[in-house]
Amino acid sequence: MTLVQPRDSTIGIVGDGFGSALVYTTAVYLGFRPEQITVFGPNDNPVATYQQFAYNLGQTILRSESESHFLPADWPTFAQLDAWARRSLAPLFRSVRRRYNPGVAEILAEATTVQRRLGWNDNRLPVRIGWLQREREPTPHFTLYDEQANYAGRARHLMLAVGHGPLSFPPALAKAREDPALADRIVQAYDAKAYAAGGRYVVIGAGIASVNEWANALDAGAKVVSLLRNPSPDEQDLNTPRCFFEALGIDAFQGLPFDRRLEFLGQILKGTSPRRRGWEQKVRKGRQEGRFEQLLGEIDEVRPGPAGLRIHVANRHGPDPGWLDVTGVVACTGFQKSGLTLPLLRRLVQFYGLPLQEGRLLLRSNCGVPRLDLPQSRLCMMGIHANPVIPHGDTIAGLKYVARRFVADCARAERIRYRPFPSRLRLQLSLASSSARAMRQVRHAEQLA
Amino acid sequence: MCPTVLGRVQTRVAILVGPALLATILSLVTGDEGWIVTIGLYLLVAIALDTTFYPRVIRWQPPWLTFLLGMTEFVIVFVLVKVLQPGQPGFGDPDALLGPGDAKPILLFWVSWLLAVTTRIVVLPIVSLSWLENGGEFRVTGWSIPPEAEPLPLLAAVSPEAAQGRLLRELSSVHAAPVQRRPPLSGAHARPVTGRSPDR
Repeated sequence: MTLVQPRDSTIGIVGDGFGSALVYTTAVYLGFRPEQITVFGPNDNPVATYQQFAYNLGQTILRSESESHFLPADWPTFAQLDAWARRSLAPLFRSVRRRYNPGVAEILAEATTVQRRLGWNDNRLPVRIGWLQREREPTPHFTLYDEQANYAGRARHLMLAVGHGPLSFPPALAKAREDPALADRIVQAYDAKAYAAGGRYVVIGAGIASVNEWANALDAGAKVVSLLRNPSPDEQDLNTPRCFFEALGIDAFQGLPFDRRLEFLGQILKGTSPRRRGWEQKVRKGRQEGRFEQLLGEIDEVRPGPAGLRIHVANRHGPDPGWLDVTGVVACTGFQKSGLTLPLLRRLVQFYGLPLQEGRLLLRSNCGVPRLDLPQSRLCMMGIHANPVIPHGDTIAGLKYVARRFVADCARAERIRYRPFPSRLRLQLSLASSSARAMRQVRHAEQLA
Repeated sequence: MCPTVLGRVQTRVAILVGPALLATILSLVTGDEGWIVTIGLYLLVAIALDTTFYPRVIRWQPPWLTFLLGMTEFVIVFVLVKVLQPGQPGFGDPDALLGPGDAKPILLFWVSWLLAVTTRIVVLPIVSLSWLENGGEFRVTGWSIPPEAEPLPLLAAVSPEAAQGRLLRELSSVHAAPVQRRPPLSGAHARPVTGRSPDR
């Protein structure tokens, strides 16, 4: 049962996805009462958006490691939970060798269990926030309004967990998609799609989504043309080098000026994928059968063709591959990173004159929104928009990192009494136990590494 | 985990509190100081390794290394117990490579190790939400660089309005007319010739 009318809250969370669930969970774990927290968003399940993307992508396991999951504290790790749920030591052995990745179904079962147990949905106002006003009297707080400018409540501290911008397409493909005859042949990896046996598909990119799509297309009996912009895509277990998930790396990263951080992010977050035994086998087999080839270049023209599309590929590094007849194109080019692609952020930038660089909000080193964030009334951002502050901001580990520090700031500002150790342990064990029971009900995901 | 040197030391001290308590109780009950001194030796060896050796060879510490490092530390502590003989007779065997008296320090080490590892894996993440993220350091759950300490960019260009100010113009090398030559700030100068000296 969701909230039916606006209320005053100590912590407001704008957004209803993973970030929202993690801020809520952390706040309850540290000692805030559920009724002090309000979530603003139309989704009744914080995993719904991700679940749809994962399904469209055909993703069965996460790239994250065992520590990245939805319990408030880092113990038990997901491998330990999995071992407990399945009464098997295999996840522990894999985890010790860093060869364990949480299954999508299992981690979503855990997230759903945790949010249900802690009442995330009971404290959600089902509206999409369209505007927020910084108020300084009588005490600093924010007044929120929905997309129709209806009053949505007030909050002392606010976390903007608005998620990614829309999916991005390279310019030539974006233009081609305006033609209704071509639009349904050009899709994003995260869109719903079906490969036809015998079809020939171009998959753009070299990141984890691309590798997933190669495997999906080959499984369907189709041919794959992998189109790379750079000659040598990197192989990397996580989407950011390991030490950038922790203080050692984050301290060094934050010591860089903003433009150097953007440059660094451009290098480390571009098209890396982990090594996966299952994928390697599929691609090798595809190569042997003549169903997998790789080209270097970028699509600069798209026309209707006998196979569906006729595309022209230009290559800056060597001879142009030229014209190709293909059934479809899958762009694994990810999401728009610019804050201006989200209406709420665009309005805030315009009205409050928030500083931007290359479309990214110049957040403070505590992920605070400049000009609006105050120590006694925080306005913070998380997710991909916090990447320039926390290099892995758009991963589960990064969301947790920001959520914990934001909630700790709120706790200090509100001088709340922290939940004592025995109560934390009891809550954590109880959530872990419920999660393990829920995980037992879902099909076990095959490990690919 | 990518522990910092400080994180290694802080974590090591924290996880050896339990074993130290256990050893203290054993020393009091048996009247043999060997138990607690052995834990002290373990702490010294561990801190020495944590500050000098481990940071040089291990940047990211995978979980499988835990047991390997425990074995290394055991060998060093065991040799030290043999050489230093910290307890009463019967606590460690100084003569044989592995005598019956060695059972006590061996058992103490591995019970302590298990206790320490359990504390590190189970207790510390519950006590401090950000302990793992902070490379094993017990920091207040906060941001790496608080906004007040954020480095600000140095601007080489100055806006025209700012350059109009009197003070700025005087400090800059731009002057309305050639600057008159003046004596250097230090060096030999002629004494003032006017006036009388006070003792005359």
